[in-house]
Order: sequence, then structure tokens, then C-alpha cells
Amino acid sequence: MYLEYIKSALSSIRSNKGRSFLTMLGIIIGIAAVLTVLIIGDGMKATVNGELDSIGATSITVSMDSTKTDKKFSPELLNDIEENIDGIYGVSPSQNMGGSFIVRDNLTYDAYISAGFAAMEKSGQVTIVHGRYFSKSDVDEAKKVIVLSQTTAKKIFGYENVVGQSVQLDAYGPVVEFQVVGVRKDMTLDTAFASFSDSPTLMADAPYTSICDAYGIASDNIESFSIYLEGENKEEVLSKTRSVVENVMGLRGENAVKISSSLGFDSTTDSILNIITSVVAIIAAISLLVGGIGVMNIMTVSVTERTREIGIRKSLGARTSSILTQFLAEAAILTFTGGMIGMLLGITISYIICKVIDFSFYVNPMLVLIVVAISTAIGLFFGIYPAKRAAKLDPIEALRTE
Amino acid sequence: MKKLVEIKDVCKIYNPGENEVRALDHVSLIIGEGEFVAIIGQSGSGKSTLMNMLGCLDTPTSGKYFLHGQDVSHMTDDEQSDVRNREIGFIFQGFNLIPSLTALENVELPLIYRGVGKKERENLSKAALNSVGLSKRMTHKPNEMSGGQQQRVAIARAIAQAPPILLADEPTGNLDSGSSKEIISIIKRLYNEGRTVIIITHDPGIAKQAKRIITISDGKIVSDMMNPDYVD
Ligand SMILES: Nc1ncnc2c1ncn2[C@@H]1O[C@H](COP(=O)(O)OP(=O)(O)O)[C@@H](O)[C@H]1O
Ligand SMILES: [Mg+2]
Repeated sequence: MYLEYIKSALSSIRSNKGRSFLTMLGIIIGIAAVLTVLIIGDGMKATVNGELDSIGATSITVSMDSTKTDKKFSPELLNDIEENIDGIYGVSPSQNMGGSFIVRDNLTYDAYISAGFAAMEKSGQVTIVHGRYFSKSDVDEAKKVIVLSQTTAKKIFGYENVVGQSVQLDAYGPVVEFQVVGVRKDMTLDTAFASFSDSPTLMADAPYTSICDAYGIASDNIESFSIYLEGENKEEVLSKTRSVVENVMGLRGENAVKISSSLGFDSTTDSILNIITSVVAIIAAISLLVGGIGVMNIMTVSVTERTREIGIRKSLGARTSSILTQFLAEAAILTFTGGMIGMLLGITISYIICKVIDFSFYVNPMLVLIVVAISTAIGLFFGIYPAKRAAKLDPIEALRTE
Repeated sequence: MKKLVEIKDVCKIYNPGENEVRALDHVSLIIGEGEFVAIIGQSGSGKSTLMNMLGCLDTPTSGKYFLHGQDVSHMTDDEQSDVRNREIGFIFQGFNLIPSLTALENVELPLIYRGVGKKERENLSKAALNSVGLSKRMTHKPNEMSGGQQQRVAIARAIAQAPPILLADEPTGNLDSGSSKEIISIIKRLYNEGRTVIIITHDPGIAKQAKRIITISDGKIVSDMMNPDYVD
């Protein structure tokens, strides 16, 4: 019997093609918009994550919200974290001493020095080509040792393997001698900095403690530090870090600790995507709502136009539920068809966009199911009022109408 | 003769209170199985109201209606629908075919609501259309047929599922005399095949075709007699 309702609904939709299509438009646009954004979002995540995997390990950067507190981190806290949280390679301050000068043979070079712990070697970007990276004991004892990038070594010494040489570091006044213990490959970061100035910036890494010594700054003044992750446990490490920091520093509940993933599909990108998704979701929801109201409207018109038909059906023995089902089926088929067209449109648009901006394209089968469910549900929901009206018609009155 | 329809002291009052209209005023009536009855009366006399009552489209303000001995005067809408589907074949003045459906589909409707399977439904409907001489018009839509043909489709629809009562309200009211004759002869044939037929009309010429003539005026039965001129 239900097959009959569907057949009759289809023939009624077919006999009103133009009107049916216009009615579906809201649903089509709504579904197409949601799908496009969701598919592109998925593609963007997949693409970014894929690129990150090729870069290597990810890290988390922790800093303080200076509007909430002026507390700074201490090296002890960093050691605490390193010892107490599993699944990490290590922890290091991420202090950059810009505008430093390396001096040799009375020539001065602009330099950019990363001051950190030995764990910085594990950041996933450091590749030693000569000598070694500075060690934990170098840090503990504040040894004046330094690791130069290949470019820096070549620029200052004219050749690459400069292990055993020394450079002077001009720490805004005092000039301190540092022993070169290693040379590392240039990092993507170096190149990034280099692109900002005409001459390539010279990069070097040195123990945090030694730099503090040289510059005469207190070592428990760490403004931010990095945690190098072993694997895919970012969320867990993030929440543990937050609780350790808040406990040790007495900042519980103040929301003063800022944590971000410096590499990786970090929360900023994620939240931008989420904002875009919610905006489009709202637009889509409105469009679906308007579409639904359109369906309600057209079904009401259809019930009025077909009052006599309803009277005839009732006189022939149609029950209230038969009429209800017939009109609900018509509304649901209308929105379902709209949903399908919207889906094809959305998939096509997102496919084209993904190809053009080179994102990976993938349609989650769940999305298809959800579209089917939502579009049908809209029809049933907005169809119920006109369908009830039809079902409740008095057969005598209905038969009297022209 | 077994009682098929029994109406006891039925009133139908529209707009109760000041401007009330007594469309049926204490009407009592018994119709037996296999009768051929014409209900005749002037316009506004209450014929359609009686027909709606007999057809279980309406319920009386007071009084009782027994169909096959079952009280059908105070049923829910769905129960009434079921009784109509099972017991009554309607033939209306305005044919009342659904314009978007073919002749065959129109005839199938009551069978759909009865839950008859597709194959059997088709067979019954085709047989009904054959018996009214429309075997060549099955796939035609109502607007592709003449008035007489449309009314024949409506008759096929009324008899397809073999209900005990055929209820015709001014069946020839919209037809030319040629088609009218055709329709009346079909209705007579159906009576001769054993069906109970009730025709409602204002036309004495039509009423004279029936075996029993009931005259109503102002909602009351004023005469109820066997037709002396009836010819088989
Ligand atoms: N729905 C209604 N509301 C009020 N009065 C009605 C209604 N239907 C019929 N009537 C009145 O009841 C009387 C009988 O009507 P009806 O049964 O249609 O007569 P007939 O079919 O013999 O012309 C008429 O006076 C008519 O005006
Ligand atoms: Mg009438």
C-alpha cells in the first residue's frame, strides 16, 4: 500500500514539475552549501596533516597570557614536565635572541640565536653535519658552547666544518667567547627568516643557561617553552601540561596559560575552520528552514487545490492515516529529491574547488547518510501540518468544493 | 427479504438554534437486500442529506442507522471510512474522478484502500471497466473522455469491489439524454445482477425506472410505494 502512496506522490510531483523544483531550491542550496564546506574542510585537514607528517615531529608551545599574569616559567618547572609527562622527547625554552652579533676577526655579523635545552635537538628539524649538538651537561653547567648552521659557518669562516673554532658573542656590551661544538643543516625556519632580509640571517643554537649568563638575565624568566612530542598524543600532553603548569604556579582556574601547537593542525587553524563551518552551517540552517517553510506552503496550496480529490478518496474508504501518509510521502519525497540534487551539486562544487586549490578530496559516507536523513526529516516535519489538514477534511465539505 | 438498511427516526439539523434547518425530520426507512429504490424530491428537500447519511458520509443529529444490523450512526471517521469502503459504491452527479489518474487507476482506488494486492486489483478493475464497455479506455484520463464515459468509469469504480449497496446521487444530472439512457440501463443491469440500488433524483422520468419510489419533501418521507409502472 505504501508503494501506492509513493507512486501517487511521484505522479503529483511530476505533474507540477516547475513548482516542485522551485520548492526544492531552498533545500538544494542548503544541502549543497553544507556539503561543500564539510568536504573542503575535511580535505583541508587531511592535506595539512599529510604535509605535517612529512615534516616530522610536532611540538607544543606554552606561554603565559601577559594580560592575566606576569609570572614567568622556571627551568625547574620545565624539568618537572619533562619528568612527569609521558610520550614526549623533551622540553626546552624557546627563547630567541634576535639582534645579536657574532664577532670574529673584528668583523661583526647579525645573528639570530635560539637559546634552549639539549632537547631542542629533538625538535625534528635539527640535523647535525659536523661535531655534536650541545648536551644536557652543557646546559646544566652553562658551558659557553654553540652550534652554527651551515650557512653561518660558511659566512663567518669561509668553510663548513668549524668544530673547535670559537666565536665572540656580543651580548649588548659584554663580549663572551663561545666554543663551536657542532654544525647543523639549515632549517626551514632559517630560510623563512632569511627571506625577510636581503642578506641571509645567521642562525645558531646555544644552551639557554649560557645565553642567560652571557646576557646577564635571570634564568627563571622563561616566557615560553616547547614540548617535543613523540607521537599522536597531542591532546593528552596538552591537558596534562596545562594541569602541571597551573598546579605548580598556582594559576588554577585563571585560564592564564596559553598553549598552542607550533607545528601541526593547530587549534588556531582548527578554530578558523570551525568558525567558517559554523557560519556556513547557520546559513545552511536558515536556507533549510526557508526551504522547509516553502515545502509547507506548497503542500498547503496543494491540499487546498486537491480538496475535492481528498473528498473523493475519503468517500471511497481512505482513512485519516491514508491521506496523512499520502501527503507526508509527497512532502518527504520533495525534500529528499532536493537533498539528493543538493548533494550532487555540493559534491561537484567541492570536487572542483579541492582540485583547483590542491586539497585531497574525500566524501565521508556518513555525510551521504546524514543528508538523506536530514532532507527526509525536513519534509516530514514541515509536511505534517498540511498533511494533517488534508486528513482532517470533512468528506462532504470536500466533495462540495469545485 | 433481509433488511439491509434500517433508518430509525433520524433527524439531521443544520445550524441548531435560531436559523436551524431540519434537512431530515424524523425519517424512518427500511430497504431490503436486492431492492431497486428511487428517492425523489424537489431541490432542497433533503435528498443529498439522506444520501450522505445512507452512504456513511454523515452522522445523524438524532436517531439510528443500522447497516446489516450494525449500528453505524455513531462511529469514528476511520470506522465510517471502512464501512464505506466495504459496503457502498457511490455514483455521483459530477462523476468525482481524480483528474490526474487514468480510468484504470481511478477504478483501483477503493481496492487500494481495501488492501487488495496489485495483481488482483488490476484484474478486478479491468473486469469492472469491461462490464461498463470501457475496455478500450483504461489508460485514458478523465479529461480525455465524454461525460457518459466518465460516469461509466465512476460506475466501474463503484462496482469493482462488489459492495452490497450502489448509491447514486443524480447520476444523470450532468449528462445528455443519450448518455443518461445508457447509464440508467447499466444501473438497471446491475440491479438485475442482484445488487441493491438506491438512486436519488429530482427527475420523475428517472424515478419511474425503479421498482420502489420514495418521495421526500421538507425532510420528511411523504410517500413510499411500489412503482406500478415498473417494467423489468
Ligand atoms: N451544510 C449545510 N449547512 C446548512 N444547511 C444545509 C447544509 N446542507 C444542506 N443544508 C440544507 O438542508 C436542506 C436539504 O439540503 P439537501 O439535502 O442538499 O437537499 P437536496 O439534495 O434535496 O437538494 C436544504 O435546505 C439545504 O439548504
Ligand atoms: Mg442534492
